Amino acid sequence: MSHGRPGTRGPYVRPMRGWWRRDPFFVRYMVREATALAVLVYAIVLTVGVVRLAQGEAAFDGWLRALRSPASLLLHAVLLLSMVVHAHSWFEIMPKTMPIIFVGGRRLAARTIQRAGWAATVAVTVVVFALALWARG
Amino acid sequence: MPEAVKSVELEVLRYRPEQEDAPVWQRYRVPYSHDMSVLQALQHVKDELDGSLSFRWSCRMAICGSCGMMINGKPALSCETFVRDLLPGPVRIEALAHLPIERDLIVSVDGFVKKLEGIKPYLIPKEPRTLAQGEYLQTPEQLERIESFSSCINCMLCYAACPQFGLNPDFIGPGVLALLHRYNDDSRDGGRAQRMEVLNAEEGVWSCTAVGYCSEVCPKHVDPANAVNQNKVNSAKDYFLRFLQPKGATR
Amino acid sequence: MDVFKADVAIVGAGGAGLRAAIAVAEADPSLTVALVSKVYPMRSHTVAAEGGAAGVTQPHDSLDAHFHDTVAGGDWLCEQDVVDYFVAQAHEELVQIEHWGCPWSRTADGRANVRAFGGMKIERTWFAADKTGFHMLHTLFQTSIKYPSIRRFDEHFCVDLVVDDGRVRGVVAIDIASGEFRLIQAKAVIIATGGAGRVFRENTNGGIVTGDGMALAYRHGVPLRDMEFMQYHPTCMPGTGLLFTEACRGEGGFLLNKDGYRYLQDYGLGPATPQPRNKAMELGPRDRLSQAYWHEKQKGRTISGPHGEVVHLDLRHLGEQKLRERLPQIYELALIYLGVDPAREPIPVLPAVHYTMGGITADIRTAAPLPGLYSVGECSSVGIHGANRLGSNSLTELLVFGKVAGVEAARDAVSTQHGNPSALAKLADAARESVLSVVAPHDGGDRIATLRREMAQSMEDGCGIYRSGSTMQATCDKLAELKQRYRRVRVDDSSAGWNTERLLALELGYQLDVAQAIAHSALQRKESRGSHQRLDGYEQRDDVNYLQHSLATYQGDDAPRIGYGPVKITHLPPGIRAYGEAGEHYDAVSHAEEGARA
Repeated sequence: MSHGRPGTRGPYVRPMRGWWRRDPFFVRYMVREATALAVLVYAIVLTVGVVRLAQGEAAFDGWLRALRSPASLLLHAVLLLSMVVHAHSWFEIMPKTMPIIFVGGRRLAARTIQRAGWAATVAVTVVVFALALWARG
Repeated sequence: MPEAVKSVELEVLRYRPEQEDAPVWQRYRVPYSHDMSVLQALQHVKDELDGSLSFRWSCRMAICGSCGMMINGKPALSCETFVRDLLPGPVRIEALAHLPIERDLIVSVDGFVKKLEGIKPYLIPKEPRTLAQGEYLQTPEQLERIESFSSCINCMLCYAACPQFGLNPDFIGPGVLALLHRYNDDSRDGGRAQRMEVLNAEEGVWSCTAVGYCSEVCPKHVDPANAVNQNKVNSAKDYFLRFLQPKGATR
Repeated sequence: MDVFKADVAIVGAGGAGLRAAIAVAEADPSLTVALVSKVYPMRSHTVAAEGGAAGVTQPHDSLDAHFHDTVAGGDWLCEQDVVDYFVAQAHEELVQIEHWGCPWSRTADGRANVRAFGGMKIERTWFAADKTGFHMLHTLFQTSIKYPSIRRFDEHFCVDLVVDDGRVRGVVAIDIASGEFRLIQAKAVIIATGGAGRVFRENTNGGIVTGDGMALAYRHGVPLRDMEFMQYHPTCMPGTGLLFTEACRGEGGFLLNKDGYRYLQDYGLGPATPQPRNKAMELGPRDRLSQAYWHEKQKGRTISGPHGEVVHLDLRHLGEQKLRERLPQIYELALIYLGVDPAREPIPVLPAVHYTMGGITADIRTAAPLPGLYSVGECSSVGIHGANRLGSNSLTELLVFGKVAGVEAARDAVSTQHGNPSALAKLADAARESVLSVVAPHDGGDRIATLRREMAQSMEDGCGIYRSGSTMQATCDKLAELKQRYRRVRVDDSSAGWNTERLLALELGYQLDVAQAIAHSALQRKESRGSHQRLDGYEQRDDVNYLQHSLATYQGDDAPRIGYGPVKITHLPPGIRAYGEAGEHYDAVSHAEEGARA
């Protein structure tokens, strides 16, 4: 292979700066990755809650009050939306992470795997809601 | 509407290392017909307007993998991309992204070929068989497991799609890893252990962050994203099993 | 000039070249193989082959049946000892490539499946979906990586053979990326550069199929044999010429004219049955089917389309599921290129040039008359196909004779020395000078594309499916004129690296020489046989005068000299080529006669 032969320049390497803005697919990918931050933020919020619980009733009530503030409600709305986007984009890529599965001689479709993921999400959400309502009442 | 269009403009990124330091855009106007591919448009340029425009092509039917290029910002095979879908133009044509440009629309392919050569891309039979014993047996279902992964035409559109490869040219990349997986998953093959080192390396599956654009652009539905990401589990299993097995054990 | 010393040099890294390289490496790992190709191996045109590779497999099949189908299919112009060897080795070679990983399509119990194919009495065509050439090529390329003795020269364009002291001593090639010339010395050279279909206007071939190796051998005095026999494949895409595999018909597709009528039954291929019957109707041989199209066109029974007169390939009755499973690639081709859904509409098709039956004269060991030179694959005329090739014989040919070429070249190389270095260097320099003068800037010359278009149109007009003396003569005259104009061909690009315009100019030179061999061989053959059919008083086969191979010998700027050589006939004397119902009757009678004789 001859590169950079005398009197000529070698192969030209194009810069990667701003690569993720070049295609809507990459923008969506970056958004997907960013939603992981939302998960992190919510994990921190819950962790603080656990710590406050350990510190006694007054501390825990203080945490609960803080959660009801307008700023917190706004934050939680953003986090909830991010979680939904996160779940959607994760289920979109999930079939790609699994080996080919044959059911009854036919290949399990990606759509089936995605629907199973959403079904599980909805089921867990329903169960958690039910538990929360039962705990309150 | 299509009948009114008589010609279309192409904007092609030229690079002639013997003349210029950096690539420059050049415009051409070519006659238009309804079933014209971008490749045919480029051939018109070379035949009639500018013989110095260099690009690879051969089969014209999306099976040889020669004619990959960026068309309006997306990796595509020029022989099966039709100008009618890109009207009114101009059609922007550039060499495949993430690869060094040698000249005009020609990129360096030898890096890819070296990676391909490095993964033991051949059948390492699980058990020996003489020719007199005939073919190895393989059921249609076993064949279907590797059907998509064995369809890769080495066109490198997936490399142009993969930002991780763009950022790190040492990444083995989607196409080669799909081929590696094709052999690992072939029911006749017993060479998985020999290919593990490539998979496990930093430049193996672990450079992949599941962007998924590779599978999106693949013209043969190979699904390299699946091949790579399936093998993250295998690579992790291999890593942990190593602690459970005495040194020198083979699987 | 850079010099590389190899034991065996192979020009062309398609199926035949790769199989030969592997054969040399296995025969003797100590021999260095230089595998020289103007494209990366996986781009070679083997990749586009679709239908399958034939080899006797089923218990009720026999070598004799495959032999008979091939020799009759070739209209008795085959070298029968070569065909005997070919059919006997076929099955083993198909098993060998399976052992190397080729993903052959399977029966339910895991064995390699076989399908029906044109002109074959019994199903014996192994297939890998409808991308057999693709799978075979990639398997061979990937397998070749196992052998460290194979040294590849990818994207190196061969410009000459080096012949010294009556023997081939190597090749000269341009490293395309840099434009540098390289001398690759070798003790034996195998040419595996493929066919020359691009000399015709409408063809299934990729841009690289320009007869390079044929022209190189031809220019060094090796006769090109049986060049007049160019195969028209009956079912190709209008406009581009892209191939719709014969397997479409093997799976049960119909060919219909504008009245929706299966017209092949009017041409001795009937009767028309709803299920495919071997060697009948749509499973007749390619030359007969292409000729039937021509007659339908004369009668005004074809359908007018934007790219000429077409007939319909009807696959609707196969159903979408079977089509997607057995013919996935052609499904996509019809959909993407034509916007036609084969499960719902018939596909417009017409014949286009597909295969070059003739080529470099090769004996059963693939050796050319020039010592040290071997040829294999479509560029070679080893004697299997005669006047018309049966589909699925050529992919098997790559394997069977690829191995032979490798083994023979290895044997030759071991008992030979390299040529005299300074003599070879001088010859290599002369080759470079010659190339540079061809591609030098010429004022007032024609563009490459102009000459190429005129050549291709003239070949289609004069050497098409049906030929007559006057049209062939016109083509011969035109080619002589084009060769003169070629001396001043205009090449704008004067760069060194990646100068593909220069390569196109050199390829045009090869094509003009090969086209001349085709046209003159056709003009001189005053009979009709296989794919060479005449309308000017020579409509019949003439075994008295023309049961012979044509041999075209290069005469520089003058027209080639056409001579003739004998055909080796061993155990199947010339008979009638009969297909359809007539064929079954004929086969039954001739088997009875053979039985009576035995």
